[in-house]
Amino acid sequence: MERLQIERLGGLAGFGGPGSRIKSKGEVGMSDLSAADQRAVADLFDNKTPIPPPKPDAFRYRITRQTAQGTQAIEVPEDVVPPALRNSVKDTLE
Amino acid sequence: MCTCFIVPRDILTKLSQDPRLPPDIRKAAADTARVAQEIRDLRIQALRLTSIATMIQAPVTAIAAAPAITVFDCGHTQSLPGRPISGPQAGDDSAKRAFDETTQVAKFYKDVFGRNSIDNAGMTMMSSIHYGNRFNNAMWNGTQMLYGDGDNAIFVDFTLGNDVIGHELTHGVTQHSLQLEYTDDAGGLNESLSDCFGSMFRQWEKGQDAAAADWLIGSDIIGPSARDRNITCLRDMADPAGAHCLAPQPTQYSQITPGMDPHYSSGPPNLAFYTACKTLGGKSWEKIGQVWYRVMTTFGPSPRMKIPEFANRTRQVAGQMFGGTPDVGDAIEQGWSAVGLSRSEGAAIA
Repeated sequence: MERLQIERLGGLAGFGGPGSRIKSKGEVGMSDLSAADQRAVADLFDNKTPIPPPKPDAFRYRITRQTAQGTQAIEVPEDVVPPALRNSVKDTLE
Repeated sequence: MCTCFIVPRDILTKLSQDPRLPPDIRKAAADTARVAQEIRDLRIQALRLTSIATMIQAPVTAIAAAPAITVFDCGHTQSLPGRPISGPQAGDDSAKRAFDETTQVAKFYKDVFGRNSIDNAGMTMMSSIHYGNRFNNAMWNGTQMLYGDGDNAIFVDFTLGNDVIGHELTHGVTQHSLQLEYTDDAGGLNESLSDCFGSMFRQWEKGQDAAAADWLIGSDIIGPSARDRNITCLRDMADPAGAHCLAPQPTQYSQITPGMDPHYSSGPPNLAFYTACKTLGGKSWEKIGQVWYRVMTTFGPSPRMKIPEFANRTRQVAGQMFGGTPDVGDAIEQGWSAVGLSRSEGAAIA
């Protein structure tokens, strides 16, 4: 089953940056997503979704998947990430 | 009402046409898709208005009234703007703080810098509170402020930080002045200006001089589990690399790399501002803050500005404003020297 690794980045607190003590990660199975969310994720990886310019202090998400060609990762603003992926991450302190 | 950035419009349209969904859900999706398009159009108009307003700033400012302060309650959803709140007396502490501190930020900009609201033309200052479920963030979305409640572990309610409120509103001021992009050097400057003016606002409210100020960013929104790990702030302008920071930053301009998150590349300009204020002494907003504000607001849009260019402009403006008081220029030079951007180092980079 294809798995997606999700990491939340940025925000006012600078999540996930170099040296940051706050990390926010999660994982979901593609088959656990609704058909609409699966399409949304596929469109993100295929660069079919218009990406708005970054907004101050908004979160970004790094989404990683394994394909036959290897690991593929994208980094996109919160606006375009389906809630099911956004809600999969958990904030923790390191 | 949903915003366009929560669910893509094509998905909303598909949901509105899905026969498996109940009619009320399909109608809500259709309504939201229509509203989403309107908001998208509104944003485009807002960007155009920003450019035009910047060009004709003086006449607009002269006729503009003082800004209205509005607060909305998202009710722990991500639907914007949420339910309108009548006023600070409504019985919600977050709402009261959002009203009161936003009013104070407007007064700070008016009294200290002569600025009329975010756009210097009396723009309504709009906030939405209780945004999302235990949402660990606050932000300026291009037209308004959003504040989460925090998870009560790592963070508490983001309206508890007066510097946070000053920080977010300053992103709006930057949008209506330098119009800095949010990547690379320009992104770091964008973040730094919000930290500088957020910290100055906090000091101004407390009547503190540079020696008495703590120079911490976000110290009032750090939650109990973070405090248990000796984390006392998001960032420390006096000690950007400190272990007590949730996100320690670089201290030298040479450490900034392309693509670095703006909350990291803001470390050196934050330290330069702190060092200048501390070296000069007195209240940060009276002289060094005035130089920073002039650089932010009098040169016109500079979306890709580099940090060394900003540094040179502070030197230039300090000479114009305080030419008879060389201490100001000397303090600013010490500030930039502390982060590897002395006059000679900056010239070598350019």
